[in-house]
This record gives sequence, C-alpha cells and structure tokens, in this order.
Amino acid sequence: MEIIISNSSGVPIYEQIKEQIKAKIIANELKTNELLPSIRTLAKDLRCSVITTKNAYEELVKEGYVKTIPSKGFYVASINKEIILEEQLNQIEGFLNQAIVLAKRNQIPKKAINEMITILYEEE
Amino acid sequence: MENILEVKNLSKTYDNFALKDVSFNLPKGMIMGFIGENGAGKTTTIKAILNIIQNYSGDIEIFGLNNRKEDGRIKENIGVVLDDMFFPEILTPNDINSIMKSSYKNWDEKRFYTYLKDFALPTNKQIKTFSKGMRKKLEIATALSHYPKLLLLDEPTAGLDPIARAEVIDLFQNFIENEECAILLSSHITTDLEHIADYITFINNGSILLSKTKDELLDHYGIVKCTEKEFKTIHKKDYIRYRKTKYAYEVLVEDKKEFKKKYPVEVVDKITLDDLMVLMIKGEEA
Amino acid sequence: MIGFIKKDLAMIKSNFKTLGLLLLLYVVMGFFGEMDVSFFLPFISVMIMISTFTYDSYNKWDAYLVSFPDGRRNSVKAKYVATLLMILVVSLVTLLLSFIIAYANNKTINYEQILSTMLGTLFGTLLVLSVMYPIIYKFGVEKARIWIFLIVFGVVLAVSLLASYIDFSFVGGVLSFINNYIVLVLILFSIVMVYASYRISLRIELKKEF
Repeated sequence: MEIIISNSSGVPIYEQIKEQIKAKIIANELKTNELLPSIRTLAKDLRCSVITTKNAYEELVKEGYVKTIPSKGFYVASINKEIILEEQLNQIEGFLNQAIVLAKRNQIPKKAINEMITILYEEE
Repeated sequence: MENILEVKNLSKTYDNFALKDVSFNLPKGMIMGFIGENGAGKTTTIKAILNIIQNYSGDIEIFGLNNRKEDGRIKENIGVVLDDMFFPEILTPNDINSIMKSSYKNWDEKRFYTYLKDFALPTNKQIKTFSKGMRKKLEIATALSHYPKLLLLDEPTAGLDPIARAEVIDLFQNFIENEECAILLSSHITTDLEHIADYITFINNGSILLSKTKDELLDHYGIVKCTEKEFKTIHKKDYIRYRKTKYAYEVLVEDKKEFKKKYPVEVVDKITLDDLMVLMIKGEEA
Repeated sequence: MIGFIKKDLAMIKSNFKTLGLLLLLYVVMGFFGEMDVSFFLPFISVMIMISTFTYDSYNKWDAYLVSFPDGRRNSVKAKYVATLLMILVVSLVTLLLSFIIAYANNKTINYEQILSTMLGTLFGTLLVLSVMYPIIYKFGVEKARIWIFLIVFGVVLAVSLLASYIDFSFVGGVLSFINNYIVLVLILFSIVMVYASYRISLRIELKKEF
C-alpha cells in the first residue's frame, strides 16, 4: 500500500492518510475485509506519531470505510458504493453551490460558469 | 488510557532557578516531546523523576507507583539517556555489558551486542576514545537493552548526524510498537519531534506552558502575519502571543481555521515547533 | 550490588599490575631483609579504591548510578564490599608472602610477629577506610584529598613508629592465643567501626542531590 505524506502541504497528516486510504478503498485497491496495518506499524513506517494514524483510522471508522475488531485490528468495511457515490455527489454539490454564490455575488452569468465547468472537466 | 508517568505539582527552588508546579501525564504507548530553552527545566524535571534530585515538593508516579517509595521496582523498568551522565569513560562496552548484566534482571546481552554491531561500535575500547556521536549511540544501546517500559531521554540525538538520527528515531519507534511502553524525549532538534512525538510538553522558565497532542498543536495553531492596522482589529481573546517584526506582525493563534473565519487576514501559516517556541518565549502576551 | 562491584574492579584493572609489582618489590626487599613493608600493601589497596571515586565524579557516574534499581543504596554497599574484598585479598597474599620469605630466609617463622603486624595493619587500614569514605561521600574526593594525606600520613607514621620503636613481641606475647581478648576486641571494634562508617556513608548518599 502506498501512502504519500507531504509535511509542507498544510493539510493535516491524519487527513492525508485518511483520504488516501479512502481513495484506495473506493478504487477497490483495498478489498473488503482486508486487514489494514496496525496503528503503530503504520506510524513507524510513515515516521509519524501514533496519535496521527489513530486519528486517521478513527475518522475512517466513523465514516464507515473501516471497521475495527477489538484486539484484532482494523479491516476494510464492506462499503455501499451507492451511498459513497451519493456522499461524493453531495460534496460536489456543495462546492458548486459555493461557486454559484460567488458567481452571483459578482454577477457572472450562468453560461460563463457552464463553459468553465466544461473546459475544466475536459482538461482533467 | 493509563498513564505510565504522572508528574503532579512538581516544584523545586534553587538560588537562581525554580521549577514551578510542573504537571503532565504521559500515557502508555506514546512518545512525549519535551521542549524548551536551555535552562528551562527539562533536565531538572527528568532528574526529579529519577530522584537524582530529591528535595522537591509534588508527586511523581511511574507505572502507578510512587517514585520515592518504589525505587527498585520502578528503575528495573526504566532506560535512560542523560545529558553528560554515563559510565566512567575508562570502561569499555564489554565492561558495561558485564555490569548491566548483574544490575538488571532483564538485561539482554545478545540484544546489546546487536545494537553495538548495528552502530558499528567497538566492544573493547575505552569510552574515552569514542566520538560524541559514538558515545550517544552507546548510551542509547545501554538504555534499550533491558526491555525498559519507560525511556527517559535527555537530548538523545545531540551530536548525531542526520543519518544516525534517523536510525535512532527508528529505534524509538520500534520501541513504542509495544503499547505498554512510553518515551519522554527532550530535544532541541524539533523536526525529529514533529515526526514522531504524540504529545508535546513545553516548559519555559520552570513552568509548563502547554502539554498537548502534537496534532492538536500543529494542525490547529497558526501564525497570522498581518499589518499593524489589521493587528489592531484582532481581539485579545483571539490570539496567544504576538511579535512585531520589522515588516509585519506575527500573531500566534490557537485555531487557525476559526481565526480565518473571523478575520479577513491574508496570511495564516501553519506552525512548526520552532516557530511555536520562539513566539511563546519571545512574543508578547495578549 | 554485584554490578557495581564489577564496575569498581573493572576501573582499577590497570592498577592490578602496579599492585603486583609492589608485591614483587616486597618479596625482593624481604629477601634482602631490609625492612618490613607489609603494612604498606593493604593501604595501597585502599588508596587505589579511593581513586575510583575520582573516576565516578569525573564522568558524573555518581549521578547516573541513581537511575539503576536501588542505585544509591547498592553503590555504597558495593564500594565497601569491593574495598574490603581488595584488602582481604591483598592481606592474604601479603601474609602468604611473609611466611614464604621467612621460610626462604631460613628464619624460624615468628607467627606472632607476622600476625600481629598484619592485625595492626588491617586495623589501621580499616580505620582509614572508615574515616575516609564518609568524608569522600560528603565532600567529594577533591576536598577530601587533604584529609587523605593527613590521615594516611599520620597512620602510616604511627604504625611504622610502633613497628620499629615499640617491641611488638611484647604485643605478640599478649596476642599469642587466638582467644585473646585484645584480638577479639580489636576485631569487634573494626567490625563496628566499618559498619558505622557504612551507615554514615549510606545516609549521606541517600540524601545527596546532583
């Protein structure tokens, strides 16, 4: 499993770990019921603190991507793809909303925004 | 979570220095970075934990035992690297092995010699022929070879080059893989702590300024850089310290996200432990 | 405690050669029948042990040892045991050599003479140790040094004066029986003296701050 940590990005390290593991679960790189490295092993291998990896795992558990079996460890939870997709769509909606608010505040027409989205989407 | 080490209201007065009401807890399985200026009280605190100094007030509990009453039982499970204190330098690592073997029940000779080999240290040369870095490595090997549960390390990486430091830091993280163990580590090299420490305890002029999880500090605290005009709009409640530099104000805030919501300032940087130390010590209080 | 004894012995390893050389010198002098220097040897062993205090303070080992299980208590105990051990071994060797020399010189072995010299020496040595160690624990070797010179010089002088001017055979006569009271009193007194010294040193060490 590859996790790349940037110490200078400004994004908290636990969040970087969380997001990257999450992405691997969604992409099915990490399969359901797969055992994840222990908090301590991960901390050692990433050269970060135990609390950081613990936070990352706890968040993943809270969000339903990982389940914990006491005294055994952390496993990839069986995730409902649709729910995840919906969650992601919600997030996108949120971002777009912000964009639209900003657009309206500055009287930028809908067409310009649409065009921008098209261009950006294709660029990606 | 159980604490391996609890320091409660530790006070000790010298002619020109005093420890004032020092309190902090070190939970099991954690590494605590102990930071502060030279002479801030780090070494004195560690000496009190070990009873190297004795006439202090307050209580210290290690493994749930009182440090003054259960000296033998506690120290069987403590490993130390102390600044400038070690075996007499006319002894050799072989001597140390033989002495430690008779002093600690759990001393692991094989483990000790493996460390010596890994660190490329000679086994039969007097310590006085060692460089400062070699000596530190020997001190670390000595501290780790009786399976202690608590490591008290005063500047364990001082004098080590970056490669050796990385090696040693790895050792500490291996050590902490056993959840029953904990490390109290004082260091000037704060980048080491930024990586591996779970908690940061910051002592200044004999008093604890803060003792928090490192993530709480580094992810939340921030430095606002702003003009004098902007600074004047900031409420005293919303910052901890500030410092006027030649071109701008540097303001230490406890929660950079909240701060950004409240004030329209441009630059809110994440902090390093060095920044934190400098601002806490040199900055003006709110 | 055994660890600390090992430490003290390891530190004075290099002195063993010197000690051996002195014993050799003693033998040579003995053969030429010059003078009896046997009383000097146990003193040397105490002096060597006192030198370990210097190494201890120089590297702040005296503070470091507190991190060992019951470090303070064990270190004091070890210092006394190691010193007594040294004195015992050196005395026995000296005694043995005295007999050999006497035998080789075809002199009739004067057991009383040799034993009483030995006893006097031992007593003097233990006296030095008992007085010196608490002083060293209290003030450190540096400050205690002046004391060392005064006391050792005084005792050596006294013993040698006693040995050469007062007829020891008179004492020997009194001491001629094992169950003689003076021997017993001297031995008992030595034991009490050393033990009291140990307790005082321990008290000082247990209160020490570094």
